[in-house]
Amino acid sequence: MKKKIAFILSMTMMAVSLAGCGTGGAESGSGSPKSAGKSQYTIGISQFAEHGSLDNCRKGFIEGLKEEGIEEGKNLTVKVKNADADTSMATQIASNFVSDNVDLICGIATPSAQAAYNAAMDQNIPVIYTAVTDPVEAQLATDDQKPAGEVTGTSDKLPIEAQLAMIREVLPDAKTIGILYTTSEANSVSSIAEYEKLAGQYGFKIKKSGVTNTSEIQLAAADLLDAADCLTNLTDNTVVSALPTVLGMAEEKHIPVFGSEIEQVRKGCLAAEGIEYVELGKQTGKMAAQVLKGEKKASEMKYETVTDSSLYVNEKAAEDLEITIPDTMKERAVESFTDISQN
Amino acid sequence: MNFLMSILEQGLIYGIMALGVYITYKILDFPDLGVDSTFPLGAAVTASLIAKGMNPYLTLLVSFAAGMAAGVCTGLIHVKFKVRDLLSGIIVMTGLYNINLFIAGTNNVPLFSEETIFKNHFTDSIFQEKIPRWWNIAVILVVVLICKILLDLYMKTQSGYLLRAVGDNDVIVTSLARDRGNIKILGLAISNGLVSLSGSVFAQQSRVFDISMGTGSLVIGLASVIIGISFFRKASFMKTTTAVIIGSIIYKACVALALKVAGDKATKLITALLFLVILIIGMDRKKKVKIHA
Repeated sequence: MKKKIAFILSMTMMAVSLAGCGTGGAESGSGSPKSAGKSQYTIGISQFAEHGSLDNCRKGFIEGLKEEGIEEGKNLTVKVKNADADTSMATQIASNFVSDNVDLICGIATPSAQAAYNAAMDQNIPVIYTAVTDPVEAQLATDDQKPAGEVTGTSDKLPIEAQLAMIREVLPDAKTIGILYTTSEANSVSSIAEYEKLAGQYGFKIKKSGVTNTSEIQLAAADLLDAADCLTNLTDNTVVSALPTVLGMAEEKHIPVFGSEIEQVRKGCLAAEGIEYVELGKQTGKMAAQVLKGEKKASEMKYETVTDSSLYVNEKAAEDLEITIPDTMKERAVESFTDISQN
Repeated sequence: MNFLMSILEQGLIYGIMALGVYITYKILDFPDLGVDSTFPLGAAVTASLIAKGMNPYLTLLVSFAAGMAAGVCTGLIHVKFKVRDLLSGIIVMTGLYNINLFIAGTNNVPLFSEETIFKNHFTDSIFQEKIPRWWNIAVILVVVLICKILLDLYMKTQSGYLLRAVGDNDVIVTSLARDRGNIKILGLAISNGLVSLSGSVFAQQSRVFDISMGTGSLVIGLASVIIGISFFRKASFMKTTTAVIIGSIIYKACVALALKVAGDKATKLITALLFLVILIIGMDRKKKVKIHA
């Protein structure tokens, strides 16, 4: 009986894998632009991890495509895969998309973008990335913003100057800013370098604490909260996932935590000069639409950034910390939260 | 076809690591957690040397040597300081994290525009910049075969027999007037050298070094070894080293299949189920005869 079950199961597996390779092999790539002149598009979205900002990017991306006439259900099939913060999974996802012969791959966050670029490099499949803080550092673009190949997209470079100016406005007497980051996230390391460069101009010193994973965050945060007047966040996936913990610890010591985008302010950060990730995604979607329709090639498009930052404030957090947000700031704010969301 | 090729590619690269894990886990009976950091060590060494212009083929050897050094550390901590096997591995794994960061310079080093063992001046002259998919697999296969054949030959030497003896019954080793501690250190050195070499090939194939690429390496290695050994238990014609490499390919096939077939939310669950199926197929079905005292 066991032998029969084993036999049937192994036959099923082999059949599925053959079917898998069958659909892949049927349409081998040719040299000319893949999707120009087509009426049906298939794209693969490779998202690195599951969290608010990246999810917003993805939603914005699909919105952006829709605004350019490429809509899911009408002329678009979208395959979404999440790497769960696993780099080897990101590699596998990219490989699978290439063997599925999609028309375009969207890589959300640096490791997924790099894996997509590597897999699609000689396969004539364009790669559009988003939420990559430093495309030059990631070697997806050269120094003058030109693409390294059939790869382009948008960068979520943090508006650090705006953030520093804002913190100074809210806390005129603060001296030290504490930053928690994960040593394995490339985006964080390059953002910290820039913070350290610019902080002096606003009269701040930066105290940073690097962790390797979520389990170390409480200890690192406790250490920072002893020495800093306030904390600020980067687009660090690990730290942002553990934000409620950090906020809880900071509140006990009455130390304000500044965020880097809207989701963080909603969860209780005092304020943020941030980029709107849905807008970033939309911008990326529009770039992708141009490539899919054949209007431009990815290698001809410089990567784009969102130049304006938007101010978000959380008045409930300000109340709890007994900090008054200057009226000029309140007027400037794009969105003001009066509550601290729990989810 | 592309799908099968990428499974083969990944399976063979991790097959080199599986050979290393086979030595420590199966032969020496030493679960070595150090491989979680030795894998990125090879990648870090390779990335930093290639960026400085070293011949990519040479970096393979340097990575192997670096891995051996790490293995020696684990061995010394275990033998000389009498630390338990698991803990020695953990100590090396923890310490190597910062060393890897230091060697690579930063936590993410892309190698898109550099020469690798797959794409360099030599291959450009043959293929004119368009590297066919099978070339990658051929290169990896050559590395895997060299490792496997050298390992098989080594196992036949006196040193190799002693290595197996240390894992099975180390009293014999002492009775032969040999130092079992030194042999353990040698085994760990060779094993970590192979894992490091595997990391080097992986970094060159994926054209990036990322500090988090090693997480879960031991799990992958162990799964490959056990799948390979169980699946080919009855195949007496097949050397264990071959079985282990094929085990790695089967492992990667399961992961790739699960990704393809599963929805976005069930990938790891389906992978786990596939492993279970494979292990059941390879299960020893002969009923054990009860020995009545």
